[in-house]
Amino acid sequence: MSLWHKFIFKSKRNKVKQSAARDRQHQANNPAFIICSLVLIIFDLSLLDTVLGWISLLVACSVTIRIAIYFAYQKHMPTLRTLNLLALLSIIGLIYSAWPLGFLIGMVNLLVLACALKLMQVRSQRDFYQLVVSLLFLLGCGFIFQQSMAFTLLYSLLSLAVILALGFFHAPNLKVKQQLKQLTMLCLQALPIGLLLFLLLPQLPPLWQTPKAKSSETGLADKITPGDIARLSQSSELAFRATFEGNAPTQQNRYWRAIVMEDFDGRSWQIHPLRKQNRRFQQLVQQEFSPIVAGPSIDYDVIAEPTQQHWLYALDIAVPRTVKSQSEIWQSDEFQLISHQPLVSQYQYALRSYVQTMPRQPLSELDRKLNLSLPTQGNPLTQKWVSTLRQQYPHEQAFINVLLDYFKTENFSYTLRPKPMFVDPVDTFLFEQQAGFCSHYASALAYSLRLGGIPARIVAGYQGGELMAKARQQQYLSVYQYDAHAWVEAWLPDSGWTRLDPTTLVAPDRINFGLRQAMQEEGSFLADSPFALARLTNIALFNNLRLLLADMDYNWSRWVLGFDSQKQQDLFKAIVGKLTPQRLAMLGLAIVAVIGLLLTLFFMPHWYANRLNPVQALYQKALTLLGKNGQIRAHWQGPLDFSLHIQQHLPEAISQPFKRLTESYLQLNYQTQGQDKHKSVSHKKSINTMRRELRLLKNQLSKHQFL
Amino acid sequence: MTQQLLNQAIHHCSRILIGKQQQIKLAITCLLANGHLLIEDLPGMGKTTLSHTLAKVLGLQYSRIQFTSDLLPADMLGINIFDNQAQTFQFHPGPIFSQLVLADEINRASPKTQSALLEAMEERQVSLDGVTRTLPSPFFVIGTQNPAHQAGTYPLPESQLDRFLMRIQLGYPDREAEKTMLLQQYNGEKPQVSEVMSYAQFTAAQQLTVGVHASDELLNYIIRLVTFSRESQQFANPLSPRATKALLSAAKCWAFINNRDYVLPEDVQAILPAVAEHRLRSNSSDINAQGSLSQALLEAVDPLA
Repeated sequence: MSLWHKFIFKSKRNKVKQSAARDRQHQANNPAFIICSLVLIIFDLSLLDTVLGWISLLVACSVTIRIAIYFAYQKHMPTLRTLNLLALLSIIGLIYSAWPLGFLIGMVNLLVLACALKLMQVRSQRDFYQLVVSLLFLLGCGFIFQQSMAFTLLYSLLSLAVILALGFFHAPNLKVKQQLKQLTMLCLQALPIGLLLFLLLPQLPPLWQTPKAKSSETGLADKITPGDIARLSQSSELAFRATFEGNAPTQQNRYWRAIVMEDFDGRSWQIHPLRKQNRRFQQLVQQEFSPIVAGPSIDYDVIAEPTQQHWLYALDIAVPRTVKSQSEIWQSDEFQLISHQPLVSQYQYALRSYVQTMPRQPLSELDRKLNLSLPTQGNPLTQKWVSTLRQQYPHEQAFINVLLDYFKTENFSYTLRPKPMFVDPVDTFLFEQQAGFCSHYASALAYSLRLGGIPARIVAGYQGGELMAKARQQQYLSVYQYDAHAWVEAWLPDSGWTRLDPTTLVAPDRINFGLRQAMQEEGSFLADSPFALARLTNIALFNNLRLLLADMDYNWSRWVLGFDSQKQQDLFKAIVGKLTPQRLAMLGLAIVAVIGLLLTLFFMPHWYANRLNPVQALYQKALTLLGKNGQIRAHWQGPLDFSLHIQQHLPEAISQPFKRLTESYLQLNYQTQGQDKHKSVSHKKSINTMRRELRLLKNQLSKHQFL
Repeated sequence: MTQQLLNQAIHHCSRILIGKQQQIKLAITCLLANGHLLIEDLPGMGKTTLSHTLAKVLGLQYSRIQFTSDLLPADMLGINIFDNQAQTFQFHPGPIFSQLVLADEINRASPKTQSALLEAMEERQVSLDGVTRTLPSPFFVIGTQNPAHQAGTYPLPESQLDRFLMRIQLGYPDREAEKTMLLQQYNGEKPQVSEVMSYAQFTAAQQLTVGVHASDELLNYIIRLVTFSRESQQFANPLSPRATKALLSAAKCWAFINNRDYVLPEDVQAILPAVAEHRLRSNSSDINAQGSLSQALLEAVDPLA
């Protein structure tokens, strides 16, 4: 605005507001900053495990500063010098503290840190855009760590809030209602494009390695020391879900195999190192074990929750059902299913289990060796007891029956709160305490069998699960961490590997009705988490709520998270019929074309208007050139004023061509009269003048090293 | 030629009212556009001086009405008095029958008197006892008023504010100007006001401003400004079509005074605060925000788009 305006606006009450009107966008009391602060702090809280403590502290500081400035408790922003120093220190701190955490976590922390610092620093429009883009990217990163429906909802809301902040930044005076209306419009426009991209664009595998840390905290561990599983039984977290094509097997038959443990050192069981070595070798030569199967089968899909591990869950004896599952799952000698990729997010796979076929596989040399190996010392009472028994009962089946009878006849009890057994745990358990849970029984039985010369091993996995079924819907089973279980497999010459579960003899309820029923008297079911909804099954309302939530979560996992390339291909098939590469390519192109077309239609009027008038276009080019050199025309500034501004701020060599160009522009645009003005000779002449001056301007700018 | 005369007039006025060249220029623009002028400021800022000087310089017949709360329409318009000798009613014209009327402190009069004046301003004629009398031509009203919060005022309603083409504020002079003023008084110099142009020349100038060219782009700019005031939520009172016309004619006159025969966006920007400020009313209840309304309007619209 030209100088004289200041005269008019000189009266007292206007003076303050005049500059305020100009910078209202960047003013600290713009709600946009508060919204961004809230988004950042909420995001930080949602990932408190991942984000480093001191970075969270920095986020809190940054948000506090913003709030203080917003409510004018504090008038001054931190200076750039302070922020630069802080940034430098933070980077050093980050390198030091995030190095051991791996690339991904480090990057996420870096991003949170950057957002916090940016929030302190935001001054200009560019800063704010950077902040908004970083926040959106950060929210996207959140999905690496949190994928449940609740978090998806939260992150979506936060993304919307960021866009709302963008709206507020540009129109701070607009009412909230109006802003929301605009936001809704934007979202509705974006929704079809988003859906199209989600459904039809190729789903790429992750581009980077996701973290594998913290494996032993939840889920099964690859090592059982009796006493370990008691802790697991107390967690009501979901382990996996299974959807059955037909009817689900009965409760007693739901033995979900996860890990087979063959190495016993007298105290704890784990996967045998030799087995691991063998597995690696087989995977290397791409050799896979395939069990001989026959008889009736059950088809089902499993959606496993992330464990960061490779093991998968299956009913005996499982074979991958689809091509995709086959390519992603590797089967090892002990019927264990292993995923090639660790389960960093929910993972769905399709299986077929042959329930009634007992595994009649021959016992390999390696199997025999591993499953008969005994620790050199310890548990002397058991050793003596077994050797006496074995002499009495030379036949394997009889020997096994006697062992099982011992559990039945002696006063054994099932408890989730066993006393710790440090020295000779099997002796203590069998002859002194006689109280424990599944892994105590499994460990004692398997050890005794090995002492008796029968190959035996422990299988860890889950038993049971909660069946959810609705009319017209497939049955599905939710298996929780408290369903964790361990049982024994013994190899008998006539029947091969045979499942033996000593827990059934002691606590039939555990197998028939689940842990909740079995622990009713003791009251120890989920004793550590008094507020778990699973504890409140007696109250109908809460139980219904729990089942409803579980159901919603199931559908979310199945239809949204489970939408992988396989499902996508099914969808493609439904759309284009037979799937050929050409058709696939055509479809991809069509999608991109449709989106492109929509965008073109949207921007067309703008482009067209610009192209229509050569006078406007030439002038705009000159403006762009000057803009690149830091002389940006305020969008309300008139051409004459801007020319004067340039004359004041740039050397004459540059300002003169621009002045002449502006004169021609003004003449063409505002002075010339008449309908035929576009055809007249002087018109063309003036345009040529503009072209010439534009070239001159360009040359001068580059000569003065502005470009 | 005519422009030279006008610039001389401006120069002449600014010798009397020191340091207020822009306001004087705006005031002359307003009169050139055949519009009425409202000067709003605190007492003692030179409102009356400005209008008095303008009348003298432009050679206009001048009368002044001091508005008070008991002023009646008849005091202003005139009255029929029975002439005993002629046995008829004789009309005694009031002070309004002048080419330039200074309505001093217009917001101190009762609404009844105010609206009588405003009717005369719009119709340029006065109806009394069934007889319609035309006012002289050119006819200008320069109203002055104190800011609304001063005691004993009847603020003009929006409908009447709209009749004034421009509202200007004089504001305090800057240091230099005020010092010059003091020195003049000390030295006993009193600049003489003389007629710079005759009212015939002034009327001729008015005719010439009609011919100033406003291109399509410029008209579009004005339309965009006006439309923005109507679409944005900021303004409770958007600009009326009367305001649109006022913007164009004022911009033309401004361009004319600046020696141009075509209008530029800068001309519109120059006159817009004076033309639009009193017509717009802020939607927000924040009193402090009201000052910058026309500025906000200007900054929201791109003259090039």
